[in-house]
Amino acid sequence: MTISKFLVAAAAISLSATAFAAGTHGGGHGHGAASGEPGKASAVSRTITVEMYDNYYEPESITVSPGETVRFMVENKGNLVHEFNIGTPEMHEGHQEEMMMMVEHGVIQGGRLNHDMMEMDMGNGQSMKHDDPNSVLLEPGQSQEVIWKFSDNSNIEFACNVPGHYQAGMYGDVKVQ
Amino acid sequence: MKSRLGSVLLSLLMSTSVMAGEYDLTVDRVEIDTGDFVKEGIGYNGASPGPVMRFKEGETVKINVTNNLDEMTSIHWHGLILPFNQDGVPGISFPGIKPGETFTYEFPIQQAGTYWFHSHSGFQEPDGAYGAIVIEPEGREPFRYDREFVVQLTDKHPHSGDRIMRNLKMMPDYYNREQQTVGEFFSDASKNGLMNTVRDRMAWGDMRMMKADVEDLQGFTGLINGKGPDQNWTGLFEPGERIRLRFINSSAMTYFDIRIPGLDMTVVQADGNNVQPVSVDEFRIGVAETYDVIVRPKDEQAYTIFAESMGRSGYARATLAPEEGMEAAVPQLREAARLTMADMGGMPGMDHGSMAGMDHGNMDMDSSEDMSGMDHSSMEGTDQSNMGGMDHSNMEAMDHSGMSGMDHGSMTMGKEDKSDPFYAKGSGLMPKAANGGKFLSYADLKAQDPLYEDREPTREIELRLTGNMERYTWSINGVKYEDADPIRLKYGERVRFKFVNETMMTHPMHLHGMWSILDVGAGQWNPIKHTINVNPGTTVYMETEVDEPGQWAFHCHLSYHAAAGMFRKVIIEGGPDSTQAKTDVIAEDGGEA
Repeated sequence: MTISKFLVAAAAISLSATAFAAGTHGGGHGHGAASGEPGKASAVSRTITVEMYDNYYEPESITVSPGETVRFMVENKGNLVHEFNIGTPEMHEGHQEEMMMMVEHGVIQGGRLNHDMMEMDMGNGQSMKHDDPNSVLLEPGQSQEVIWKFSDNSNIEFACNVPGHYQAGMYGDVKVQ
Repeated sequence: MKSRLGSVLLSLLMSTSVMAGEYDLTVDRVEIDTGDFVKEGIGYNGASPGPVMRFKEGETVKINVTNNLDEMTSIHWHGLILPFNQDGVPGISFPGIKPGETFTYEFPIQQAGTYWFHSHSGFQEPDGAYGAIVIEPEGREPFRYDREFVVQLTDKHPHSGDRIMRNLKMMPDYYNREQQTVGEFFSDASKNGLMNTVRDRMAWGDMRMMKADVEDLQGFTGLINGKGPDQNWTGLFEPGERIRLRFINSSAMTYFDIRIPGLDMTVVQADGNNVQPVSVDEFRIGVAETYDVIVRPKDEQAYTIFAESMGRSGYARATLAPEEGMEAAVPQLREAARLTMADMGGMPGMDHGSMAGMDHGNMDMDSSEDMSGMDHSSMEGTDQSNMGGMDHSNMEAMDHSGMSGMDHGSMTMGKEDKSDPFYAKGSGLMPKAANGGKFLSYADLKAQDPLYEDREPTREIELRLTGNMERYTWSINGVKYEDADPIRLKYGERVRFKFVNETMMTHPMHLHGMWSILDVGAGQWNPIKHTINVNPGTTVYMETEVDEPGQWAFHCHLSYHAAAGMFRKVIIEGGPDSTQAKTDVIAEDGGEA
């Protein structure tokens, strides 16, 4: 991945405030046990490449150790917009409602993201930006990395919460052992 | 042959060997027991429905069909792309299969998904001659499941197809139990005023139709996989499993609204083709359509698959359960749908004065939900892409409606408000989910992986769907099949068909042999189907890449409409290289519907 491409993707999918997982620290989230926290590049123990297709991941299961920091190289090899999001099933369910809104407002249009729409002020200072550190939202052909430090919570999935994708089976198991 | 162990893994392992499958089907007189009544009918391999035919994409299949009836028969492989002389329509693809004879079909399987097969002779299909086709793809599916079931619906009637057709011809409302009464006239008059009510009734009389004409065949028992509601077909699952349900509507005449209370359904295929997954609470399946959905029951409990007919005159019911014998509550039928003046929108010669007058009457009668729904439909109906169309106006609305939102409330409100752009504004048929949630619309269907490049059509052909309910004649452009010239298409062209429904009935239009690219306004993502519903008072467009030589049937899939003349032969002129298909030697031995 070139630096410029990374910057473009990073700019497009920059910071916002969503209801969960925006924090830098686990614990205290409404959904119970945390999925971990953003990792430091210096602590990365290994890199896992995750390819996103329409509508599934390769691989569909990974194994990590409690407290391990992993760099995920996430690549969208499909023709549709996909997400890579680390969280508990409950967190994914909550996030799916936001993603539904993004579709209904034309932010996600099949194989395209409407970046202008993502920036738009929705009132209350909120926008439909998609920028949590536990996730990336990619157009076809885009790549981006996620560095994540896992906790000892074993109820973790990586998932695509674009409406319908999770339900169709676009998620993978994280085995913590 | 219902697969109770159809795990993906198992089927992938089993299907790795390349093979030319050979299959035998016999066409037999069978007994059909619906739980409500027992009747003689027609089936395959001794049963109705026939077996689930399981094919593998890439194989060539050979199917030996032996006719044990004392009349001609045929099998049409509904939705399959194949050489026209294997398509099984007597008088168009081949002469038919004589009593006592065996006909061998042979064709390559070039697609995957859920389809079905049925007789194309006389009324053998409504009499029970149908079965399911399941085709495993060469590659992996774009979705996951642990288990699968075919859920094949029909509307089994105690009368034979021949008798039903005779009765309908004699008295078109013979099977219509929902006619309006004198009592209703007076209650409408007190509600809407005498003059409005009189005007309403006169308008309907002019149309030679009645408001209750949602279904022209009532009195059936809905079957799922051959079982009536009391016989309760049951599919077993382990809680937490993902289940693929392959819904097929093999009814002669009946549309079903399907829901599974307690479960979200994620639609992943329509008419055998993958669509971008969309989660719904309920969907309407037209005659001859298929929808594949994924459900994930997490609890150790039974769930009812409930399929209400669109006119609410009957239902089919089945169960998903962790153990045989478990069952869940069966919902009550909702109130019968009534057509409104909006459903007459396509009728020529409607004067606007009376329309306007009626609009008011309608609004008073309908719930306020309908009215808010109508607002949105005009917004959606006009734009090219749903998403684009919602842009700015909605953004503003969001500002006011509490952006503390993004919460449940505003989300579900958004869903309820939308009316379906594929129905006439204010239509009495406008579907609504029983739980107030999401009802699938054609507008939700987007191809997962478009088969064809999007391109400009070479020309447009208008097909007005026409009929006279009083004489039970059904036609296209006012001409019934026996009086009509074939539609001639050129190999290699892309034709845009414009369906204008000028009748009060919904017509599921089925073009054989080539895909129907349904225009949902999504451009390159428009889905491909084999059957396109055209609702009353609406205009629907589809495009076809003319990529198969030969001649094909093109008709309304309501059995008695097709037989009454809403049917065309399509001839493809030219072909790849010089392989001009020889089509002129086919005798008209069999029935054509």
